Amino acid sequence: MNNELYRKLVDLYAGNELPAELEDQMDLAAASDPDLSRDMTSLRRTVDTLHSLEDPDYTEESYHRILMKLYARGAEIESQVPVSSHFQYQLPLQG
Amino acid sequence: MPNDALRDSLAEKRWLTALAKGDPQALGGLYEMYGERIFRYTFRMLGNRTDAEDATAETFLRVLRRSAELRADGAFRTWLFRIARNLCIDKMRQHKLMELPSDAHYSGSEERATLRVTVQQALADLPMEYREPLVLCDLEDMAAREAAEILKISVPALKSRLYRGRRALRDKLGGTLERTS
Repeated sequence: MNNELYRKLVDLYAGNELPAELEDQMDLAAASDPDLSRDMTSLRRTVDTLHSLEDPDYTEESYHRILMKLYARGAEIESQVPVSSHFQYQLPLQG
Repeated sequence: MPNDALRDSLAEKRWLTALAKGDPQALGGLYEMYGERIFRYTFRMLGNRTDAEDATAETFLRVLRRSAELRADGAFRTWLFRIARNLCIDKMRQHKLMELPSDAHYSGSEERATLRVTVQQALADLPMEYREPLVLCDLEDMAAREAAEILKISVPALKSRLYRGRRALRDKLGGTLERTS
């Protein structure tokens, strides 16, 4: 296979969608083709970075705030998790 | 079907049936099942916690309002993501531009957190047609077929947008990834 064909397969390479044998052939071809090598490496690194990024924290506060928004909009909803005490309204202490 | 998927499918069916009968526990059950995923998706689309919480709550309100129409036929999750997606698009139109996650909390090292914000910013700068497949397939790990259904496009069209989106993101990130790898 020539390198022009490999260039068309870079997207599949980056997404780990190629059979191992074909991937090995591309790695071999990239060893003597700096442009192909750069394209393969940088695109796969982009995909790997996306896959490895941490999820946004779904905090207990967010969980309860969403529930509160649902209550406030009139939804009848019974949470499976008890509401934390710090979400309950408390009167200020007066001396 | 793997055990977890079967269990989720049965639970979803049970909650949707209960919701149609007006059981107040049903919405809570569906929120327990899908609340986190919808929140994560809306956060990634909108870039900030407050809007993501609003969009998540509104998504489940729509579930409640349309409870009579919902069927436990396996398409509920796709429908749920479509609703969330439409709400995100509405919010983005209202804001006109994406906001950075000023109140974002990410676990991990400072370097990873910086990378996360950098990628989020680069994603926000991408055209919607590229951003959506990246969020669904690469960040939410969704199968191409389901992502295509949510976006109402064919699988080849989804793949084409995904591949072009990855290249556009790479170009936006420039040397950032090389420095952090």
